[in-house]
Amino acid sequence: MSSTTEVPRRGGRYTHAEAILGPELCGRLADTKVLLVGAGGIGCELLKNVVLTGFGHITLLDLDTIDLSNLNRQFLFRKKDIKQSKAMVAAQTAGAFNPNVHIYPIHANIKEPQFDIEWFRGFDIVLNALDNLDARRHVNKMCMAAGIPLVESGTAGYLGQVQPLLKDRTECFDCVLKPTPKSFPVCTIRSTPSQPIHCIVWAKSYLLPQLFGEDEDGTTELDDAEKQGENGGQEIAALRKEALAYRAVRKALRAAETTHDAAKTVFQKVFHSDILNLLSMSDMWRSRAPPTPLDFHAIENHSFVIQEPSKSHTATGGVNGRSSGKPAANGHVNGNAASAPIQQRNGTNAGLKDQRALSLQDNLALFVSSTNRLAARLRAGEETISFDKDDDDTLDFVTAASNLRSAAYYIERKTRWEVKEMAGNIIPAIATTNAIISGLIVLQALHILRKSYGALKIVHLQFKPSVPLGTVNLCPPNPKCAICRDTYTTVLCDPTNVTLGEIIDGILGDGNGEHGGTGRREVSVYEDKRVLSDPDWDDNLERTLESLNVTRGKFLTIVDEEGEWGDIAVALSVLPPNRPADGPSLILPSPLPKPTHTPRRTSPAPTVSRKRSAPDDDIEESEPLSKRPRINGAITVPQMGSPSKKRRLEDEGLVMLSGATDEVDDEVIVID
Amino acid sequence: MASQDIESATTALQVQPDNKARRYDRQLRLWAATGQCALESSRVLVLSGSATSTSILKNLVLPGIGHFTILDHATTSHADAGNNFFLEGLESVGKPRASEAARLLRELNDSVDGHADTRQLRSVIESNPDWLASFTVVIAHNLDNQILTKLSSLLWEHPSHPTLIVVRSAGFLAEFFIQVHEHTIIESHSETPPPLRIDKPFPALKEHALSLDFASMDPTEHGHIPYVVILVRLLEDWKRSHDGNPPRTYSERQEFKKSILALKVKLDEENFDEAEAQAYRCWTETTVPPEIASLFDDPAISPEALRESHSPFFHLLAALKEFTDQSETHTLPLTSTLPDMKADTTNYIHLQKLYKTRADEEKHAFKSHLRAPVDDATIDLFVKNAHALCVIRGTRWDALDRTALVNALAENPKAACLHLSLSALSTLKDQSPDLPISTEALRKQVISIIGDEAELPECLDDFIGEVVRAPSAELPTTAAFLGGMIAQETIKIITKQYVPVRGYCTIDLIETWTAVIGS
Repeated sequence: MSSTTEVPRRGGRYTHAEAILGPELCGRLADTKVLLVGAGGIGCELLKNVVLTGFGHITLLDLDTIDLSNLNRQFLFRKKDIKQSKAMVAAQTAGAFNPNVHIYPIHANIKEPQFDIEWFRGFDIVLNALDNLDARRHVNKMCMAAGIPLVESGTAGYLGQVQPLLKDRTECFDCVLKPTPKSFPVCTIRSTPSQPIHCIVWAKSYLLPQLFGEDEDGTTELDDAEKQGENGGQEIAALRKEALAYRAVRKALRAAETTHDAAKTVFQKVFHSDILNLLSMSDMWRSRAPPTPLDFHAIENHSFVIQEPSKSHTATGGVNGRSSGKPAANGHVNGNAASAPIQQRNGTNAGLKDQRALSLQDNLALFVSSTNRLAARLRAGEETISFDKDDDDTLDFVTAASNLRSAAYYIERKTRWEVKEMAGNIIPAIATTNAIISGLIVLQALHILRKSYGALKIVHLQFKPSVPLGTVNLCPPNPKCAICRDTYTTVLCDPTNVTLGEIIDGILGDGNGEHGGTGRREVSVYEDKRVLSDPDWDDNLERTLESLNVTRGKFLTIVDEEGEWGDIAVALSVLPPNRPADGPSLILPSPLPKPTHTPRRTSPAPTVSRKRSAPDDDIEESEPLSKRPRINGAITVPQMGSPSKKRRLEDEGLVMLSGATDEVDDEVIVID
Repeated sequence: MASQDIESATTALQVQPDNKARRYDRQLRLWAATGQCALESSRVLVLSGSATSTSILKNLVLPGIGHFTILDHATTSHADAGNNFFLEGLESVGKPRASEAARLLRELNDSVDGHADTRQLRSVIESNPDWLASFTVVIAHNLDNQILTKLSSLLWEHPSHPTLIVVRSAGFLAEFFIQVHEHTIIESHSETPPPLRIDKPFPALKEHALSLDFASMDPTEHGHIPYVVILVRLLEDWKRSHDGNPPRTYSERQEFKKSILALKVKLDEENFDEAEAQAYRCWTETTVPPEIASLFDDPAISPEALRESHSPFFHLLAALKEFTDQSETHTLPLTSTLPDMKADTTNYIHLQKLYKTRADEEKHAFKSHLRAPVDDATIDLFVKNAHALCVIRGTRWDALDRTALVNALAENPKAACLHLSLSALSTLKDQSPDLPISTEALRKQVISIIGDEAELPECLDDFIGEVVRAPSAELPTTAAFLGGMIAQETIKIITKQYVPVRGYCTIDLIETWTAVIGS
């Protein structure tokens, strides 16, 4: 710190840091601009560490607000702060501690357009403290585009990981394929569930949206399933009939008067008529146990008994309905559900209310009460309600509905506690792991700032008592990575005034000299997954970027048709605020980008997928479950161009767009 | 409930968790209500209010220990104010460090009781040893050698005395050691699943497997026979034609695997692929795992010791030994935990029922060997985790003698040098607290610990250099890291869940590694 001698108090404050980091790095830290993305479990710890270490300018961004379940580890928050912005409260609490650092809190989503490439370039280093794959991939891409070093992190229970990511020097986050979300076939969810998770997915991602979500006829995915040739047409036709019948039920739920009857109407349709309807298709049940339709009144007055059909043994009815009204736990199978993501821990959790096993009657009562609560919210003005693990009404509804369905299919039932974990993709989180990981993040960040690249490591916090930390040396970038192998460049422009063609011609240049770009050639242009033009389709070239919905913060990817040139990713940024009114509305980079050139035809290379998943709340590198069954498969944008590419992309479900308002409907939806 | 209508039943239905369960939701999914309960009844003493100490405490207060005391007679300095988050900056300077830190730490969780004590440790050891012994865990950061030796002897005097965790740090280097007497773990959260006993199937499983007629099944049914059933069946068939023996030679085993795949009626029958992949279970005899077998020799389960013992664990262990000795298969009691496998609902649930029924029978048999009253929940846990039980008998903090150190130098020179440098530092600080620490003095001290015959590796100089550079400086990131590590181990000790680190865990945050010596 250059001012140690001038201000004695500061000398005191940084005595330790200076002794350890050395005066040079310690002084530089005061001018260092760091971006922290996330103010949750890791974020709070990380903020404390960077404040204490003396990073001078800290931008802290988080879109979330504080919840009670955060307080067991997010130590910058108190009970009184619940529902407030995490970024704001964290900055306030930590800022008071070191008056020499400046903290700039932002309550926003990192994916918003104002956080464009120019904004990212304003930082010396970016530290991720995120909890979902989607935001991680986004920040990775922005850092690769802007050439800013990134330290990535994640924790799950006792496990954690820290990974430095530097463009051209190390792998980027997307160089290695991440596990794809697990998905289930439509028919498993809709007609033939065999595990608790199937029923939970059904209740959360099918039934809840059908009743309380946006009004849609729910037949699109059936059309797609039919196209894919999934199962028999008979089943799909039945499901279609079922979908149409939801209209009446939706209406009943939104009617001004009745309450009890509406819940009963829903029950009758979903657990009685729909199941009877499925039973009518005898083919389906030749080698499967046919489900039992549930009877509202019989369950209510405890006379309902489910007899599981049995092939090789005498069923005792032990799995389900007990007429005593007692929880079925004693009679039912105790083991681990076949695909439950986290092991249940029977016998040890007796102390918690929501770990109590629910009887069939309990589930019926919970179904009625939660349906009524949700219906009341609709009548009070909420337009749509979607699942949120911290929204008790939706969690109760999903718990009850999935357990009732499980009962009909002789599947083991789950407690509300377990349903929350499975439906909410809850990952255990504790203060200790976050503290360890955030310490390691700053240590890696200091190596980066000191440019001691040789000291950088991927660090794992692992389960072995003999070796708590495991390290892996960094790998060079994957040459086929679709994110960090692009050549990135930026244009500053006014999208209302500049056409797509102007951008492409401008970027390609005339090919003369060092700075003249590659010269004109046959290219296709993409924005994310949308094709905007290709050599045989130039309709959009005359249109403005704005009319194509290509605006600030987005990227245009220019792909060579012959596959000889590497891809160029053009980041769109705004014109400088002080430009003259009559100045140009497009400022091109200089020199123009010149990607690698391989003057021969290459076959289309296998590419790193650009699979997307929707934002998740508490997912930490886990395998998320698919919300809706994936029908089309995620859309892959091949990296290398080839003449037949366009056709192939269309086969894979890529949409050709012409209007700014057209949106790609992402088929892969992940449980959140 | 029978007479209630649905509306009143609904109001009575309490399924939503209370505020405490909500606050601790994410950690309850890790160590459950039993672990939380242990935490809430624990008392932790932390010696010094350093940045490392308060970082450790922060991670214990957040998850909700019952009580903490900070024992520290120091007043807050400017340097403290700069690197300790749990002091109020300049406001705290000049005030007792323990009181300032305790006050701010208490704010993190109002269900935790926290105290400050500004006495000298030396006088407490002499005048009030019982008070020290009243804690569950004592954590000591950067205590000098002399006083640490006294403390560790005191806490080692009786098996019921608290666990002592010794933490040392200098700059980017650190080490910790857990002095624990006897530590028994039922829930080790092992990643090894309990055995399925395919090679020694219980009668109902064998009967079920033999009753199936694979050939006459329709294709859907055939593709959903669980692999456990396939293996049990094929192994029985094999034994019948091989004098009761399983496949023994390499070629027999290959033949057996082929016979599994030959049963496929369609190429994509994953259940047969699973069976082939799991075929080794047919010729790997299910026995008592060696780690558990060695527990059966534990002196604590001799009849004499048990007469005196109030530990449910050892009574359960004695019963387990008797059970396995007398069981026909000489195996641990069966558990009903089945892994994920390709199967349809009916088949899977049927298989689960078979395992569950048998597991209940064996648990019942197990209980008949138990000679002391133990509650059912503990018995359930014990049987479920019988394959992964763990008993730790620790050593005293300074029990690492010269021979052990020389061995450690040969096995893991870096870790041993790190340990030696930190040990030398704390001895030097004892001898001349006010003198600056020099490279020469440290080296001399290392040699006096290890003896002049031992060959010292080059890396020793690096560690000595780092210690000289920052003999007492605490970097916030090192403190944060240690705060997480030490709190983690403390929670393992308190909850008796998960296996704690044994030996001296050395930590180098320049090169980022951890290594354990002397375990």
